[in-house]
Amino acid sequence: MILEARNISKSYDSLEVLKNVTIECHKGKIYGLIGANGAGKTTLFRILLGLIRADSGSIEINSQGIKPIGGIIEKPALYGYLSAYGNLKVFAQIQGLNLTKELYSQSMQQVGLSTKRTDVVKNYSLGMKQRLGLAIALLNSPDCIVLDEPFSGLDPMGIIALHELIKKLSSQNQITIIISSHIVNELTDLCDTLYVLNEGEIIKKGPTAELLNESVTTYKIVGNNLEMSEVLQNINAIFSNKSVFVSPETMSITEILQKLIEEGQEVTACIPQTDLKALFGGGKI
Amino acid sequence: MISLIRSEIYKIRKQSKTLYALAAILIIEGFVIVSAYYQGTGIIDLLLANLKDSFEFKGNLLNGNLIIYLILNSLWFHIPLILMIIISGFLTSEYKDRTLETVLLQPVNKLNFILSKYIVSIGFTLLIVLLLAVSTFFVSYWIFGRGDLVVYLDGLNFFESDEAFYRLIYAFISGANSMIFFSVVSLTLAVILKDATKTWIVSAIFLICSNLLLKIDFQNEFLNELFFSKLTDSWQYFFYYKIPYSTIYFKNFMLFGYTLITMIIGIIIFKRRDIQV
Repeated sequence: MILEARNISKSYDSLEVLKNVTIECHKGKIYGLIGANGAGKTTLFRILLGLIRADSGSIEINSQGIKPIGGIIEKPALYGYLSAYGNLKVFAQIQGLNLTKELYSQSMQQVGLSTKRTDVVKNYSLGMKQRLGLAIALLNSPDCIVLDEPFSGLDPMGIIALHELIKKLSSQNQITIIISSHIVNELTDLCDTLYVLNEGEIIKKGPTAELLNESVTTYKIVGNNLEMSEVLQNINAIFSNKSVFVSPETMSITEILQKLIEEGQEVTACIPQTDLKALFGGGKI
Repeated sequence: MISLIRSEIYKIRKQSKTLYALAAILIIEGFVIVSAYYQGTGIIDLLLANLKDSFEFKGNLLNGNLIIYLILNSLWFHIPLILMIIISGFLTSEYKDRTLETVLLQPVNKLNFILSKYIVSIGFTLLIVLLLAVSTFFVSYWIFGRGDLVVYLDGLNFFESDEAFYRLIYAFISGANSMIFFSVVSLTLAVILKDATKTWIVSAIFLICSNLLLKIDFQNEFLNELFFSKLTDSWQYFFYYKIPYSTIYFKNFMLFGYTLITMIIGIIIFKRRDIQV
């Protein structure tokens, strides 16, 4: 185990932000922390990164490196008046690293940024800032990276690119990555394990696919002439354009699909719809 | 620690506000010189009107030494105000831009980080005072030449040109200690308040109150001698006819103590506080 946080609690005056939160992370795996806004994700990350102190609980990071854990909290905070080189130079220097040309090129390449840009960072797009923030977090090769809402504000292409980068860091560099989000889809394909945080408590944990399957109550079926299907009409499906939403009660989704095929319907897709209320334990979304 | 100091210097060098600070210092200097050039003779004539009836004055009293003395007096308010704004910005900008978080996400000791801020702030203050002194001496002697210095301090004091020169240099050195005190106070206020505007307002109020309290007699020997506001004027004592060295040493020593205490308070608060911007 690379990181173990046990029974972490934190309160601000009478408001209990975290209640006995325990998370365990293994080397080279990607963990997702999902929860509604205000669930306590950022507070937990700040505690893991040592920015704030927990009221109780313990954190153990099994790393021999100079920098056991790195990360980005919310949006990357960089020196806007410095170039990418200037930022990397400052952040390398304060942790005793000499930013050689090789290290600069390597750091930039690792996150897919060009070394040719010499203008100040305030001109960068959010996606580029995220990448540079990640390059800074990766200085001194930490064993674990914490990314708080890293997809927030990124365009779809930026999200895909960051997904790829995170997967690459995890598989090639064996870095443990913990990502938070309040949007389920952002973490579905990325994380090996998911923790669900609701009002300061971990209410669910487990393999991502398993956890999400448990919370699927509706399926979106796409196909041609589905409105003609007797099967769908008999199970009170909701029709919307060329797709239909079904909530299996009397028969399983496999049986529904089987019957549709037997009926001669052309089904092109069946997409599980995660019920956020079920996932978040009936809490606020 | 050295690497933290070096990175702080790098950031200061790259920030445009550093240039604004240097420009502000030179503008103040320029204003004094221009006003002295056009109105100085009239003011001196007015000041010495009574004496001119009884004494004969040789040479020009509107000379470089008088201009340097006039610029030196910006140590009362203008220079410390500029320093307090710039130096508190060294930390408040890190809070505002959340770069403080990014810094402390690296393997950096909080104590070393804030200590490096204080050390660099003191260095920056010394550099500004040095720049002010060097440019003032250079420009004033170049435009107005050298001559005897007349100063009104509990009466008119006259100093010969050479003597005025070393008194002015010592005054700048002693004044630097006062400037360091105000700079350290502003950085500590930045630690406490985090927000730039709040820190500027409180710093300005602190400076105004400090100058006002300097003139007030507390009717208490202890307060009159040891209260911080009574210690920031040591540089003026070099323009008494007989320089009270023991008073100057005492004031500087005590003020240095206040500077250290203020710095320790700032360090303790910064270390204890969670980093939440």
